[in-house]
This record gives sequence, C-alpha cells and structure tokens, in this order.
Amino acid sequence: MNINVRILTKSVAQQYAFKRIVTFSTKPTQQAAAAAVPQQQEVTGSTVRRPIVPAHYRFVYPEFLPDPKVEWRNTIREKLERLDMLDRRRQIELPEFYVGSILAVTSSDPHAAGKTSRFVGICIHRERCGLRARFILRNVIDHQGIEVVYELYDPTIQKVEVLRLEKRLDDSLFYLRDALPEYSTFDENMEVESLEEGAPVPVNDIKVVLRPRPWLERWERQNLLGVANIEQYIKDKHRKSSEKAQKPWEKYDLMKQYRATIPEEEQKEIFAEVHTELHTLELQRKRNKRKRTFVKPKHLA
Amino acid sequence: MNQADVSKLISQLRIAVRPNKRHLKNVDGPEGRLLKLRKTVTALVKHERIELFYNRADEARGYAELLISNAIRHGDRHKATMELADYWLLEKQLVHKLFKVLVPRYENSNISYTRMFKAPRDYPGIFYRKSVLELRGNPFPVLTPDNSQNRNLLHNVLLDEARKEFRREKLANLANKLAAETENATPSTPAQVPVTEQPEQSEEAPKA
Amino acid sequence: MLRTVLSDLARLRLSGGACSVTQVREKGHLSRPRLRNPYWFIRQQRLQTDDQVTGENRSFIKEVIHDTYGTPALIKGVQTYEQKQLIKTDEAPISTEPWTPNVRRCGLIARKIGQYPLWLKNGERIRTTLLQVVDNHVIKYIPPEEYKPTHQPNVKNLNRYGCVLVGAESTNPALLTKEYCGIFRDSGVMPTKNLARFIVSPQAALRPGTPLNVGHFRVGEFVDVRGKTVYHGFQGVVKRHGFKGMPASHGVTKTHRRPGNIGGGGEKGRVWPGTKLPGHMGNRWRISKGLRIWRINTKYNVMWVQGSAVPGSTNGLVYIYDTILPLRKPQEAPPLPTLYEQPEDEAPDDIWYEQVHNFKDETISFKPE
Repeated sequence: MNINVRILTKSVAQQYAFKRIVTFSTKPTQQAAAAAVPQQQEVTGSTVRRPIVPAHYRFVYPEFLPDPKVEWRNTIREKLERLDMLDRRRQIELPEFYVGSILAVTSSDPHAAGKTSRFVGICIHRERCGLRARFILRNVIDHQGIEVVYELYDPTIQKVEVLRLEKRLDDSLFYLRDALPEYSTFDENMEVESLEEGAPVPVNDIKVVLRPRPWLERWERQNLLGVANIEQYIKDKHRKSSEKAQKPWEKYDLMKQYRATIPEEEQKEIFAEVHTELHTLELQRKRNKRKRTFVKPKHLA
Repeated sequence: MNQADVSKLISQLRIAVRPNKRHLKNVDGPEGRLLKLRKTVTALVKHERIELFYNRADEARGYAELLISNAIRHGDRHKATMELADYWLLEKQLVHKLFKVLVPRYENSNISYTRMFKAPRDYPGIFYRKSVLELRGNPFPVLTPDNSQNRNLLHNVLLDEARKEFRREKLANLANKLAAETENATPSTPAQVPVTEQPEQSEEAPKA
Repeated sequence: MLRTVLSDLARLRLSGGACSVTQVREKGHLSRPRLRNPYWFIRQQRLQTDDQVTGENRSFIKEVIHDTYGTPALIKGVQTYEQKQLIKTDEAPISTEPWTPNVRRCGLIARKIGQYPLWLKNGERIRTTLLQVVDNHVIKYIPPEEYKPTHQPNVKNLNRYGCVLVGAESTNPALLTKEYCGIFRDSGVMPTKNLARFIVSPQAALRPGTPLNVGHFRVGEFVDVRGKTVYHGFQGVVKRHGFKGMPASHGVTKTHRRPGNIGGGGEKGRVWPGTKLPGHMGNRWRISKGLRIWRINTKYNVMWVQGSAVPGSTNGLVYIYDTILPLRKPQEAPPLPTLYEQPEDEAPDDIWYEQVHNFKDETISFKPE
C-alpha cells in the first residue's frame, strides 16, 4: 500500500472552525450529561447541579434556539441575546402560544387615542429567532381582513394574553387569507378560555373552506391538512404540476435536516442555561393566574 | 431560514460539517444526487473501506454518520429509522449488518464512526481529488503508520535533551528558593532567576 | 495598465525633468483586490506537516509555552492565555500632554459577531451590529522620527505621527514561523494571529504590552469601522449594482438580467470610465464611517454599533477607529492614550446610551397629552 495519506480531520476542522460548541457524545443518556457537567464547572467555577430541562421547551420557546446557518453563528452573540431576552421576559409575561392560538396584544401606540391599542386575532405564523422573534395575528374587522406583525421582544408591547391556547394541523396558517372570512373572524371582547393545569395543548382539527381561485399561493402543492375543499377548485393540470413539485426524497435527506436543526446536545446546553430563569417565570405566571377570578369559558360569539 | 426546525431532534455529528451541501452534478436533480450517495453509503457499509473521489466521499460521510447515529439512538424497533435504513442501504442484508454489527460496535464510542483520508491522484489521469473513506474498527491494516514513538529522530533527541535541562533548571530554582527562605535573615538573591527557553525556541524554529 | 505605465515612462524621458501630467482613465487598478501580499511581507503560518514528535515532547513544548506565557484562560469570552507579566496600569505613560481635538488615537481590532435589534426609548427599533474586541495588546510603538514605512499610508502630514502596532488573539507560537514570532520578541506579548498598525499622534503613544479593551471608546461616540466586504465572485449587473433587469416575458428575448445600453454615440461614442458593468463583487476594503456606539458590554468586550451593514462577514475581522467625520468627532476628551482597566473597579457590565431602552427597564408607554 503506497497510499500517501494524511489525516484529514485536523485540517478540515481548522477550515470549518466556526466556534461551535462541540460536545463529543451523541448519547442522550447519562454519558452526555457526564460529558457536559465538567465543562459547566469550568465556566462557573462552582458545583452547579444541572437542571433537568423538559423536552417540550423547544416547542414552547423556539426563539431561544439560534439560527442554524453556520456562517451566522457566534456563541457569545447568542449568549448576549439570550440574556437580553430573559431581561425582557422579567418585565413582561410572554405566555406559551402556538400557531393557531388566539391572542390579544396590547401595545403602546403614539397615534392611538389612549396611547395604547389592543388587537385580537389568530396567530397564523411564528418566525425568526432571538430578539427578532415575531408573529402575525389575523382577524377580520368590518369585513376587512387585518393582519398585524408583532415582535415578541418589542418593549412597546404591554401585554400578551392567550385567549384560547390551541394548535392547528399545519405549521403556518397563511391559507386563512384565501379562506372564507368566518374562519378568521374573532370577537374583540372574547374572554380567556382557561385550560386545565397540566393538560396537553389541544389540537383543533378544524378544516377551513377556501374561496374559489385565484389564490395567493398554490395551496394544492403544500400538502395542507387543515383545508377541506382544495379538490373542488383544482383541475387536472394543477394536479399534475403539484405532483411534479413534490419532493418525497426530502424526508430521507438526513444532512438537509441536520443543517436545518440545532443538534440535541447544543439544545440541551442552551436550555440548561436559561431553564431555571424560565421556570421561575412560569411559576410566577401560574401564581398570578390563580389570583385572578375564575371565568367560565364561553364559546365564540 | 432564520429559525431552527424543532420538529426533529438529531444528535450532534462528530465530524466537521460543511455549511452547505455540494451539488454533485447529476442529470436527475436532487433525487439522482441522493441515489449516487446511497450507492456510496451502501458500499461503505458493505466493504468498510472504499477509495473514491473526495467530494463524493465527503458528502456521503455525513449521511453514513447520521444513519449510524440514528440507528444507535432509536434501535431497530423504530419504524422511521428502519425506513431510513431501507432507503439508504440498497442491499437489504446490510440492514442486518447495520443493526447487529455496527450499532454494537459504536454504541459506546465518543468519536466519529468514519475516517477519511486524502489519497494521491493517479498521474496521468483524471484530475479530481481522491480520498479513502472507512468505517472505524474495520478489519483491514491501518493506513497511517504511527510514527509518534520514534525517539531516534533528530528533533526528538534534541527535544529530549532540552526537556531534561528544563527540569534540571527548575529544580535548581526551587532549591535556591528554599535555601533563600530558610536563610530569612540574610537577604541574598537567588543565583538563577529567569528560566530561559532559548533551547526549545531554536527547536521549534527549524520545523517552520 | 502596463501600456499606460510604459507610455508614462517614455513621456517622462521625453519631457526631461519638466513636470508632466498624464491622465489615467483606467480606474480598475485603484480598487482591484490584491490577490497576494507583497513579497516583503513576513509569512505568518508555518507549513503544517506531521512532526512525528513523541507524546512526551509534545507535552513538554506545551509546558514551556504555559511556563512562559501563562496557562490558557477564557478572558472576556475569548480563548487566550493569562499573560500576567504585562502592563495593566498607567504607571508611566509615554506622554502626559493633554488631549486636543486634533489628536489621533489608537484603534482596535475586533470581530463582527452578528447583529440584532435594539429599541430606543421613543419606541423606535434600530438595527445594530455587535463588534467584539478580541484580546488586543500593543506590541510596538514607533515614534514619528523613526516611522518610515515602505508603503506610505494615505495620511496627511505623516511625519507628525507615530505608529502603534496592535496584535489580537494570542496563539500557540509553535504554529507560527520564527520570523513572525520575532515581531513580538521585545514586547513580551504572546504572538498573535492578527496584526494592525494605527497611525497615532505622539500624545496617544502606548507602551508595549498594554491591553486594549472596549473601554477605549465610550457610549454615544462615533466610530469608523473598516473591514473586507464579503466576496461574491464575478457577478452580473443585477446583483452587483442593483439594476432592475428586464421583464421575464412579454416578448423579451435573451435580455433578462443584462445591463442594456452602456453608452451613447457620436463624439462620446465609447464606453465611459466608471460605467457600471459586470465584474468582481466584494472582497474590497471598505470603511463605514460615523457609526454611533449604542451600548457597550465590558464583560465580553462587545460594542453595539449603528447599522447592520458593517463591512465583512460574521466572525470576520474589522478595525475600529475614531471617526474622521468633522461634525461627529468627540467634543470631550476621550480616554487618552487608552482606558486602563482596574481590577478592583465595580463597573457595570452593560453601559447603555441614554436614548436606548434597557431591557431591564419597564415597558415603554407614551403619556397622553
């Protein structure tokens, strides 16, 4: 064997050294914890017991996970951003909510009559991470569809109330723009429908009815679960083109998924850093909730 | 993108990952690209050491690593993982090898499952970079001779001597200090204060 | 280009000492990216090969490095070495002359670590870029009378200014060449990955070994940030200059992303110099001037600077200077020559500009009139 070989790992690692936190253990069990604990001790210099981070945190606080695009990552920037987010969360209750939940947001507005404005609507989209995290609320007011984009960490937001906590079948509900208006009409004076403590977040499996074409997007290509009558409006040519646009191999493209996610070890490290703070804030929120008078949930007016 | 996908939870890879994929020119588009990589991954699992073009090896490496890591993580009772193995391993007997041979082999390892080496180009020939991709713990003889124990190389001999001298000087310093402490009354300065690192700097320089 | 130079030379010889002016129409040679450093530059990294050093000797080399420069440490968020022997106080400043508005101070080497929004107290959202000052140390000061650089920087009255050499990010000297390590020998500073020279007034001279921190600048002041823009390769006119292109349909053929007409006819029947055409995009040194510092974090040596268009990629190097814009120059004396951090100070981690909303403060609300 006269193969002139050279170990690659070193040079490649230097080439692509993006200062990522690399914890060399994929095992989600005790091993990873054992590997991670000494690191933590090095930083803090004291024996800190690692809190156990609940598994659902990545759904409740997705904005704490950084953008997975490697070129834009920097551990110190991410850390500073998380500290700022926690500082803001100490000032205002930012409750758990999902796409499909109905929210009421009160924000200071220099042009409004009382210098504050309140908007009720369904959350149709959540995007971006860190301090840029934002969501879109949609409602129909005076037969006119209204959408407002709110930044979650904007200090002019005074109050975020979750009127009805639920999920929908899809990850974003942009198709409500092409649906009949009754599906995105919500009463402004809606009251809070409280869930039982510890109960899982219900999934609303309502199927919305779309208006006839033309649509804003080609919904037939998006494999939507929450739409009832897509078949009614599409012709054979649409069916064919949508079949062509499908990418069934993407669910096997492991590297594509890897590049779009934050690895489990890193997620653990991030949430271990913010977990205690978030947990105390959650407890505080629960205590405040109990103080309020109980209102029997009423259905949509 | 701007937000991480939270629907999936994947273990961290122990290899350096490129920020973007290579397209690996293919007439059948992304599906054809994956087919090409499936063939490579299958060959890797089958033969445990393969020689191929660098780009394709580097791309296939990540998929092989993730396949093994998923198999370790979820085991063979997990439907999605089985589907993945079925897709990535074109020869079905290799699915058994993945779960019965490779998973036990790598279960307790905390380094990468594969290794990659740069191989020389054949001349005259196709001018693409070549490489060797292998699974760790394969039965073949190692590719890189371990030369780290060769004490008779000139720089190792010199460094050995420098090390001995360094230790000697440190001991002398320590002894001086102790002596000075015991004779507290007489404020005499220790004989040798600075530890010179001249010898090993001259050692490091020739390697430049 | 070569032809122009040759013709210039020929003309010089013909004119015989008399002053002659040649008009150079080619602008490309002024801003063309240099592909390699000049031959007299000292090579920084040594050739990486497998040394075949035994494990014992490897650890011995490491031990010597730790013995000379201190153990590896995480200082202000940057992985470096404890260099305890270095100057950390202003015991003996080189010059005690007071500050005047014309004093040129030293700059800093920083990394652009990303950008995120901040909010002002009036509710306005601003975009900021985060610059982290990475382990900066002064390596050398050359007084004005000795400073005769081979390549003259474009500074007016250069003979009045000295030069401060600053290094950033200390690294293992075994990875560098002997010649490069020679630059650091007299300073006592560990060899660094990055170097920069700053043209300074003699009042702002610094002693070798002085650490430079983000406290060198103050919140609310304006800075110029110099960096190398992201390289995009050879790009067309739509991406490079933001042309609109032409419609995709409606009878348009073969001209969807092309520049269209590039010149007139008649007497001006040629392509005028400076016409926007396809070419290399990015990879140029650019300075964004007059950026306000909104916030400073002394714990991680980070400053938040106005705007999200600071030249360079994330995690790329940038150089920070006092601004040269006359109306944005500081009115009061900034720390001269620099701010020496005292370890016993109980300074706050975060320093906010008065107009910026601190996230620890209460929600912004507007008072009704």
